Amino acid sequence: MSDVLRARGLLKTYRRGRAVDGVDLTVRRGERVALLGPNGAGKTTTLLMCLGVVEPDGGTVEIAGHRLPRGRSAAMARVGFAAGYLPLPERLRVGEFLRMFGQLYGLADPDTQAMRGLERFGIPHLAKAMGTELSSGQKTLIGIVKSTMHDPELLVLDEPTASLDPDVAMRVRTGLAALCEERGTALLVTSHDMVEVERIAQRVVFLSAGRVVADGPPLEVAARFGREDLEEVFLHLASERQASEHTEGLRP
Amino acid sequence: MTTQGYPAQGPVRVSRELAPWLRIWAIARRHAYVLYRSPHRLFDVTVWPIVDTVLFGSLGVYFVRQGGPSSPGQAGIAYLLSGIVLWHVVYQAQIAVSTGFMEETWSRNLLTLMVTPLRELELVAGIAVFGLAKLIMGVGVVALAAFALYAFDVTTLGLGLLPVIAILLLGGWTIALVVIGLILRFGNGAEALAWGIMFVVMPLGGVFYPVEALPGFIRPVSALLPTTHAFAAGRELIDGGPMPWGQLALASAGTLVAAAGALAFVAWMLRLFRRRGYVTRYS
Repeated sequence: MSDVLRARGLLKTYRRGRAVDGVDLTVRRGERVALLGPNGAGKTTTLLMCLGVVEPDGGTVEIAGHRLPRGRSAAMARVGFAAGYLPLPERLRVGEFLRMFGQLYGLADPDTQAMRGLERFGIPHLAKAMGTELSSGQKTLIGIVKSTMHDPELLVLDEPTASLDPDVAMRVRTGLAALCEERGTALLVTSHDMVEVERIAQRVVFLSAGRVVADGPPLEVAARFGREDLEEVFLHLASERQASEHTEGLRP
Repeated sequence: MTTQGYPAQGPVRVSRELAPWLRIWAIARRHAYVLYRSPHRLFDVTVWPIVDTVLFGSLGVYFVRQGGPSSPGQAGIAYLLSGIVLWHVVYQAQIAVSTGFMEETWSRNLLTLMVTPLRELELVAGIAVFGLAKLIMGVGVVALAAFALYAFDVTTLGLGLLPVIAILLLGGWTIALVVIGLILRFGNGAEALAWGIMFVVMPLGGVFYPVEALPGFIRPVSALLPTTHAFAAGRELIDGGPMPWGQLALASAGTLVAAAGALAFVAWMLRLFRRRGYVTRYS
């Protein structure tokens, strides 16, 4: 399996301290990977560096053979990105929004691809709706349609099902799994819902204090920490983090 | 929701050569929708130009009446009206690009755009292309108002007007790049500059009067601004003189230097924006 994303030795320091400290992250073609960790672990910064939006202080990122930042535009043509917290532009209808992004991705017939995407996720009736008329769950679904309509090699989803009802979240997971199987799309996802992660991810990468502390299949990672499931691993790492922050706070 | 239906072949894409133009078109079209669905934004290209024309046109008429028919005020009203028509080239070009960029920050669309193949210059070019349509509307309204209310026909300035307009257009885009750079660095707090900076450039930029009319200590600053020489060229045309090549050359050279400086500044701010992770302000 070839690597779609290869990040090596990523470093990032902000004024408040080191956010990412030598992270290596590889996602192979067709693989479904979850990037996990408590708040402040460095997930978002790692993700933004992998997407070329934030410049690392050290390390390299390569997407589908294109090295960032030089090959950013070519690399991004192979990436789809959606985040549950990002709104749709207010003054566009769904169809117009999807057409715009289809054109940004260089699609010759963006309207057909948009309609296919909307049908794939069971929401063709939303094509003419204004962004402001949608529920947060519908906005998330439109974001996922936008991020998949150009058949990306790597799909990056930040908290994709945070605002979805359980039944819709399940259908999204099923749809994404099918996309990965049939098209060989690699998936890199972040989520705070460990049950969801266990269902969708083949491999999890746990970050804590900007470092990779575990990398492997969900059950193996849980076993390595002597825990039953990922939720317990997450709670364990979060409490460790809190304890270390408390200790640092007590230092003279 | 279907889980099948992914075609064996991926979607058809346009050629590599065509792709940048399609991206620019996509951005221009997106901003056309924004204007279409936000009628209040037409204020900038309809009401404001008329207010400016009435203000400066009436000022000119008043001075003419005070000084009698043989007073230099006769030329003054033409200076004021041609000045305001040409000023709106700078103003509309600047405001269209600045607010177009700010629209992406207001709608928290910047991160989504940055994770597409869109290049930074393509984003600005797309906004500027649609900005040209707004500029034509805005300047058209000023020119029509000047003709309808004060019988001043800006086309009497002849073809010499074209290079003046081209220089002022580039000048407006140059100021917009500086504003974008400041927004990248300081966030939306810097957006007041989009409008405020024009009120600094207007008196210094020789829109209605030559450098000599300014207080002595400001004159060197005014003389350094390329717009000063472009507007001076406009006034020479009003006076019926030959094509003012000297002023045009000064204005062109100055505008090119300023544009290069603005590009370097915005590239620097963009690097800082990526290095410091400022994109999270808009997500």
